[in-house]
Amino acid sequence: MQRSAVLSKNRFPDFFDLLKEFGAVFAPRRVSQKSFSFKQVDHPSEIAFEALRTILPPKKFFFQQRETIISYDKDGVKEVKPKVAPQVIFGLHPCDLTGLGIMDKIYAADPPDPHYLTRRKATLLVGLSCMPDKHCFCKAMGTDSPTSDYDLFLTDIGDDYFLQIHTAAGQSLIESQSELFGAASEINKQGFKDFWTTRDQAFPSHFESENLPAIMDLEWDNKIWDDLGNRCLSCGNCTPVCPTCYCFDMVDVASLHAQEGERAREWDSCQFVGFAKVAGGTNFRPGPVDRLKFWYRHKLHGFEDPHGLQTCVGCGRCTESCPSGIDDIVNVVLRLQGKPSVLVTDTPKAGGGSSAGGCGSSAGCGAAGGTCGDAHDNSQSGYLQIERRGDDSDA
Amino acid sequence: MHKSDTCLNTPFMPTKALLRAIVPMSQDNFLFQFRIEEPGPLSSCAPGQFIQLWIPGAGEAPISVCSGSVDGSLELCVRKAGRVTSALFNLVEGDWVGLRGPYGSGFPVKDYVGKDLVLIAGGLGVAPIRSLWQYILDRREQFGKLVLIYGMRHSEMLLFRQEFKLLLRRKDMHVFIAAEEVIGPDLPSVSWQLGRVTDMIKLAEIDECFLAAVCGPPVMYKYVVTELQNKGLKNDNIWLSLERHMKCAVGKCGHCFVGGTFTCREGPVFRMDTLRFLPEVIECS
Repeated sequence: MQRSAVLSKNRFPDFFDLLKEFGAVFAPRRVSQKSFSFKQVDHPSEIAFEALRTILPPKKFFFQQRETIISYDKDGVKEVKPKVAPQVIFGLHPCDLTGLGIMDKIYAADPPDPHYLTRRKATLLVGLSCMPDKHCFCKAMGTDSPTSDYDLFLTDIGDDYFLQIHTAAGQSLIESQSELFGAASEINKQGFKDFWTTRDQAFPSHFESENLPAIMDLEWDNKIWDDLGNRCLSCGNCTPVCPTCYCFDMVDVASLHAQEGERAREWDSCQFVGFAKVAGGTNFRPGPVDRLKFWYRHKLHGFEDPHGLQTCVGCGRCTESCPSGIDDIVNVVLRLQGKPSVLVTDTPKAGGGSSAGGCGSSAGCGAAGGTCGDAHDNSQSGYLQIERRGDDSDA
Repeated sequence: MHKSDTCLNTPFMPTKALLRAIVPMSQDNFLFQFRIEEPGPLSSCAPGQFIQLWIPGAGEAPISVCSGSVDGSLELCVRKAGRVTSALFNLVEGDWVGLRGPYGSGFPVKDYVGKDLVLIAGGLGVAPIRSLWQYILDRREQFGKLVLIYGMRHSEMLLFRQEFKLLLRRKDMHVFIAAEEVIGPDLPSVSWQLGRVTDMIKLAEIDECFLAAVCGPPVMYKYVVTELQNKGLKNDNIWLSLERHMKCAVGKCGHCFVGGTFTCREGPVFRMDTLRFLPEVIECS
C-alpha cells in the first residue's frame, strides 16, 4: 500500500537538505523572464516552484543530448561506460513523470540500454503538483495524476505538502529523518482530495482522447495536414522539447589523424529532411507535410508506436515552442474531431477563435497565434510569430 | 524503476572483422569478404537479415548479408552510395571494420518448404535474394518450383555474373535476367531479356500457388506487387524486404519506423498483408 505523510512548508529547507544528502539536486530554475530549466540547485530559494514546463523535459538527464557510447584507438574498440552519481530530480509534474515512464519502457525494452538505465537507477524522482495553464492538456491524454513513475510526490495543500511515498527508496529517505514529517490527518487528506478536484476542473483546454487512434486513421488524408505542414519550418523544435521523443542518430567523431575517435549518440528529429532518407537518395518522408503528419500520428495514435504506447503526455511544450504555431495539438485534434476549437491566446484577434474548418488554414491554429509569445525568449521564434500573426489577421 | 543492471553492455558494441578480399563486380558494386575472429551471433545469418557495418570515423550503415550462412567469414555486396560505403571503398585488404548483428527477421524459409517460389530482385536487391536462393539450392528437394527474376537498368550492372552462368544451366529452376538496356557483347550463357522485372513476371509461369520474395529499389515495389496480384498472388503470399536507414538496428533510434513498426525489428522482410499505411511504406517520391 502506498504510504503518505505531511511536510510543513516551513520545514522544506530541511527536506531539501535531506534530498541533497542523497545526491545532487536538480530542479526547475528560472533562466529568463518566462522560461525555466532543470538545473542543479544548492539552495531551496533557487527553485522555481511556479514553473509549469521547463524548456527541455527531464529526459535530458538519462537520454543525454550527446553521449559517447564507444571509443576506439589503434589498440582497439571499447565501450565508454556512463559516469553516474546519485541525483535527485525535484519538481516533476505528472506529465513529465508519465513521460519518463514511457522513456523507461523504451530504453528498458530488449536490448536494454545501459547508458539510460544506469543513470535512471541512480536517480530519485520527486514530483510536485501543479495547476494547468492554457497549454496543458494532460487531462485529455490521461496523464494528469502521478502514476507509478516516481519515488515521492508532493501535493501543495496550503501550509503543507502532502507526500505520497511510492518506492522503497522514497520510504527510506523519509525514514532517515522521520521527525521532519507528520502523519496525514483527516484534514490533510481532505485538502489533498480538494486540490486534485479543483485541479481537475481547472483545465482551459480539453478534448476526448478515447477515439484518437481511429480519428488519426480516418483523417489521414485531411487537408489540415497540408495546411499545417506547409507552414512547418522543419526546425525540429517540437522533438527535443517532447518528453517522449526518443529518436537519435549515431555519429562518428574521428581525430584529425583518424587513428582514434569515438562513436556518439545524439538527439535526432523526425522533422529533419534527412531523417527517413536511404542510400541512393530515396526519401520516404520528403516534405514537411509527410514529416509533420508522421509526428502527429506517432504522438497521438497510441497503437502505432512499436512499444504500444500513446506517447503524447499533454505537457504543451511543443505548442509553446513551435515558431509556426502548428503544434497546437488541442486545436488540431478538435479540428480533426470536427469540434469547435478553443481560444487559448492572450491576445484574441478577429476570427482567431473561429470554429473548426471555418477559415481555411488558420482555423484550427489561429488560436495558437498567441502561444509562442510567451514561449522561451527565443528572438527568432518571436519574429516568426509576429509575421504569422500578420498572415492570420488577413485570413 | 530500479531493476536495471549496471553490468549491462551496450548493444552498439561491434565485433572486429578483417577485410580479406575485395572483388570488383560491376561499376560501383564490389564484393567485400571479411574474416571475423570471434563471430559470436554473426556466425549464423538467416537469408534476408542484415548487419551493421561500421567504418571507424565514417559511421555505420545497414547492409544485407548476401551469403546464405556465415561462420568465420562474411560477404557483403556493397554499392558506393553514401558516406560509410564510400569509406569502405577506401579501405585495403588487411584493414579492419566493425560488424554487429545479424538483425531483423529474414525471409520465413521454414514457411516456404514444399511451396513454389518466385524470387524477384531489382538491382542491388539481388544481394539478400542471393542469400535466399543459396539457402534453397542447398536444400533443393524441400521446395517446389523455383523461379528467379533479376532485373537491372543496364546489362553492365549484372552482379554475381559467374554464379548466374551456373544458375542458368540448372534444370531445377527458371532464371530470368532482364535489363532495360543491353549494352556490349552478349556474354555466353547469360541470356538477356530486354525489359523490366514486371515484364519478366508476365513472361514467367507463375500462378496463384506461388509465394513471392521481393527485394529491390523502393520505387520497384508498387509495380511488382501489382503484377504479382495480376498473376493471382494474394498479399499474404508476398514478402517484401524494405529498405530503411537503420541507425541503431535494435528498435530504439526511430529512423526505420514505418507503418507502426520498426523495420529493423519486425522487418526488413515483411509479409505484404502485415504492412499498414502502404502509401508511406512502399511508395516514395
